[in-house]
Amino acid sequence: MPVFSYLAIPTEGNKDALCAALEATDYCEIIPAENQEVVVLVTDTPDKETDKRLQAQLKKLSCLQSLSMTYGHADDNRTGN
Amino acid sequence: MAMPTIIEPGTKGIKMNLTRRDFIKAAAAQSALMTAAVLFPGITFGDWQRMDDSATGFQWKKTPCRFCGTGCGLLVGVQGGRAVAVKGDPACSVNKGLCCVKGYHSIQALYGKDRIKTAQVRKDGKMVDVPISEALDLIADKMKETIGKHGKDSVAMYGSGQWTIPDGYAASKLFKGCIGTNNVEANARLCMASAVTGFMTSFGLDEPMGCYEDMDYADVFVTWGNNMAEMHPVLFSRMLANRKRKKDVQIIDFATRTTRTSQAADKSILFKPQTDLAVANAICYEIIRNGWVNENFVKKHVSFHRGKTNIGYGTEDHFKFKDKAQNISFEQWTEFLKDYTPEKVEKISGVPAKDIKYLASLYGDPDKKVTSFWCMGMNQHTRGTWINNLVYNIHLLTGKISTPGNSPFSLTGQPSACGTVREVGTLTHKLPHGVVMKEKARKMAAEIWNVPVSNIDPKPTYHTVEMFRALDRGDIKFMWIQVTNPMVTMPNLIRYREGSLKKDRFVVVSDVYPTPTTDIADVILPAAMWIEQEGMYGNSERRTQHFEQILNPPGEAMSDTWQLIEVAKRLGFEKQFPWTEENHIEMIWNEYSRFHDSPKHRMAPYNVLKKRSGVQWPFVNGKETKWRFHAKYDPAAKGEDFHFYGKPDNRAWIWQRPYEPPAESPDQEYNFWLNTGRVIEHWHTGSMTRRVPVLNGAVPSAYVEINPDDAANLGVVNGEMVKIISRRGSITMPASINGRGMPTKGQVFVPFFDEGYLINEVTLDAFCPISKQPDYKKCAVRLEKA
Amino acid sequence: MKTKAKKIGKSVSRTATVCLLIVGFCVLAVQTLNVRQVYAGDATPSFDDSGDKIFRSYEEIPPNYMIGDSGNRTLATYYDRRQYPGSPPVIPHPVETTFSKNKTECLACHAKGGWNAELAASAPLTPHPEKEACRQCHVRLNTDKNFVEHDWVSISPPRLGQAQLPGGPPPIPHNLQMRENCIACHTGPGAVVEIRVEHSSRGNCRQCHVPLPMTPLVRFERK
Repeated sequence: MPVFSYLAIPTEGNKDALCAALEATDYCEIIPAENQEVVVLVTDTPDKETDKRLQAQLKKLSCLQSLSMTYGHADDNRTGN
Repeated sequence: MAMPTIIEPGTKGIKMNLTRRDFIKAAAAQSALMTAAVLFPGITFGDWQRMDDSATGFQWKKTPCRFCGTGCGLLVGVQGGRAVAVKGDPACSVNKGLCCVKGYHSIQALYGKDRIKTAQVRKDGKMVDVPISEALDLIADKMKETIGKHGKDSVAMYGSGQWTIPDGYAASKLFKGCIGTNNVEANARLCMASAVTGFMTSFGLDEPMGCYEDMDYADVFVTWGNNMAEMHPVLFSRMLANRKRKKDVQIIDFATRTTRTSQAADKSILFKPQTDLAVANAICYEIIRNGWVNENFVKKHVSFHRGKTNIGYGTEDHFKFKDKAQNISFEQWTEFLKDYTPEKVEKISGVPAKDIKYLASLYGDPDKKVTSFWCMGMNQHTRGTWINNLVYNIHLLTGKISTPGNSPFSLTGQPSACGTVREVGTLTHKLPHGVVMKEKARKMAAEIWNVPVSNIDPKPTYHTVEMFRALDRGDIKFMWIQVTNPMVTMPNLIRYREGSLKKDRFVVVSDVYPTPTTDIADVILPAAMWIEQEGMYGNSERRTQHFEQILNPPGEAMSDTWQLIEVAKRLGFEKQFPWTEENHIEMIWNEYSRFHDSPKHRMAPYNVLKKRSGVQWPFVNGKETKWRFHAKYDPAAKGEDFHFYGKPDNRAWIWQRPYEPPAESPDQEYNFWLNTGRVIEHWHTGSMTRRVPVLNGAVPSAYVEINPDDAANLGVVNGEMVKIISRRGSITMPASINGRGMPTKGQVFVPFFDEGYLINEVTLDAFCPISKQPDYKKCAVRLEKA
Repeated sequence: MKTKAKKIGKSVSRTATVCLLIVGFCVLAVQTLNVRQVYAGDATPSFDDSGDKIFRSYEEIPPNYMIGDSGNRTLATYYDRRQYPGSPPVIPHPVETTFSKNKTECLACHAKGGWNAELAASAPLTPHPEKEACRQCHVRLNTDKNFVEHDWVSISPPRLGQAQLPGGPPPIPHNLQMRENCIACHTGPGAVVEIRVEHSSRGNCRQCHVPLPMTPLVRFERK
């Protein structure tokens, strides 16, 4: 049950598009900043495989400039931080 | 029903349930938010949408709060044509810069997405948008037609304590002066009428003699059936601040239910519903027995009277009652009080005799200044006038009145119940000065209104409950409702809703949001709300508060005053309503002030009102009057000290009033008391406050508070559905056990703000025969687990 | 400099830590900072009304409190609990509603602050502990659903770092009504991370930090 949080930076002027894209993506919850071009993304996937696929999917988003992880919880063994 | 999920506002959209997984997710979000905060100084994830930078010119504008009768001064931050922030007005003596949660979020009530912006007319059963001029034409035509067919008393106006003073004045002038019907009532009949008749019978003049400053001087506060912590929170914290500052101040909560006020009080005394009448008499008995009577005061300033007894409850149509005062002696009254020894009253009221004696000792202590507060508990009472009289009796017996800190203080629930309904007189028997029955008052009104004196009918018609009964019966065919929501607030609601929907009834509703009342309307007029128009309110302490138009109303929305003027012109009364949109408020104020041009009631001039954060009347020689009936403070009072000039004998009246049971008490079949009321977050029927996100978030829906023992007997746990059944109707709603308030055993409490749970379909339309104010606090119900 | 930030590019990395990125993002932040010039301040602030309270509250805070730092209260959460700059925040944690004779104990934590194990958080100080009827203004949310949709817009919060000179003391960008205790938000473990100060032991805040007027100052001109 991996849980991760990220700061997602959209490409210029594409914050709304990024929010829409992430909202439409399974396992994703977002908290957009109101006065900065940043979106907080929390992912919650059932297993590592799904998480990998989700990350691949996220990489393909054209409106996403960068994604940086701020928190990770990989599985029940508490190997995440 | 499942209990509401707990939301963690700091991590929007992520629910903080107790599962470990959710906790991890919340921690993940929190971690990201913190990182973002470090990386982007000033970054926010706030709930509100931000203005763009082109909107400039931020300004603070003064106004009284839109909600309760406290009359807090607010400063509303305005930018780009929108209200964007609120703070308490430090220059306003009412609240000195503090607000309550409703006040701080009040401006958000302007921005619900479903604001009514266009007029609507019912065509073939469906509401259709029309230009407002077309709707106004239709209203005028319908009024002419109805009057032509059924006479002038077939049209009626039902207004509100949320009317501005010019709103109520225009309504009274149009209906009473021009059309010539006394069919003008206001919802304040449901909240303040007993306070008015209490004042009139005891003092001959309406409205409190004291003011909020009493709170800074008093040593003892007694709240009579009054949950001030939630209903008048700003005044309540002023009371707490006084206690904190002076250390030896006591607050006694005397109520039928344990509330936040009881929690904060030094002592909570619970009594059985309706028995406040007996306890008040017992307090007087004890004061006399212990020799605590202020004999000098009583000898010089008090006379004794008794009225009729077994006076009925008004549950039948065409109910009539007129009280008759008889002089009695102090000795006769003392003899009467022997039925009310603390020991006897303990049996009726459930209040231990020692607690009654304790209360009497506080009132009786010559070194203690005592302020009593009450509001709906005493006013919404089938003996509302009596219990008002009885509390005055205590203050008069001890001479604790009309001086700083000594104050029997009747609080109001609406921002202009005093200003508009009581002072302008938008009740069937009233004129702006005096009553319709008096020729002198009719002559004065006719002269100021520029109408023939024969226009003003000397006979009062229907008080509120009877007015809705008349609509049901068909005696009234046309009703115009402004700024109020009777299809939530009328007791025994089912009858009155069905009545209003009958064939050939025509109902006009002016409001700002869709409500159960607009649902029954044939015409809906979009109204300007609060600071979208210029106007004045009048609060509980005789303070008139002006506000300018700060915002533009949305769409075709129009102030209630101007709606009335537009219809008056269409009815051919241009001569009486000659004002322009620019000057009408000032002109109305100047005209209205002529009614009160004496030191007993003089109003501040328009330019003074505009400048200050409220001005108290009587305003004489440039000075406000803080305490009435005392020569030291009141320019109308003669002599050295007290002068109760409202009564012909220049004395205040002590009334002999017995205990009589309520209209309906629990019996074998219906074995619970039902009490209704309010919560701090919502105001009245919630049509404004429920549209404020924080307030709705805090209390999203109504519930029934049940005593834990009763709940256990019933087999109901918190959140489970309970059916409340009375002889009039039933309602099924979630139970709240050990929640915010706790009713005594055998009693349930339901707040009435939620149009999704219309508790007034269950309540009884019994009223005080003198004030005609219904009792929403007592009827019999039974409970079933649903 | 902007290109450097962009180089971080489209990368998703499990191992990337926050620390490594801070430098780069700070640069980005400076570049994209959206300057807003609107403050919910008073046109004519009369701050000295509250002078007495500012000093008193300073005296009452123990020195240990002032040097504490838990770092879990941010401007983001600060504003998320409010409807506009200066509105009373909602209560973000469960509150006891069980009916007992005990009074509301909000002030037990919020008058003096300190670590609350149950909530795993440092309690922020209230700037107005003399007011006892807490729930007059602060409510607990039980739902995040609105009754009807809402069209609420307000102004942006005051911008940080408005010092006139590099390194100079920033002015006070907000109104002080109900917020007379600087320490409540700016010092100690309950402080807001971005606006926490390290030198609160100096006490007289307004010796260096002056109110920032909402309207532009009328400049003195010789005639």
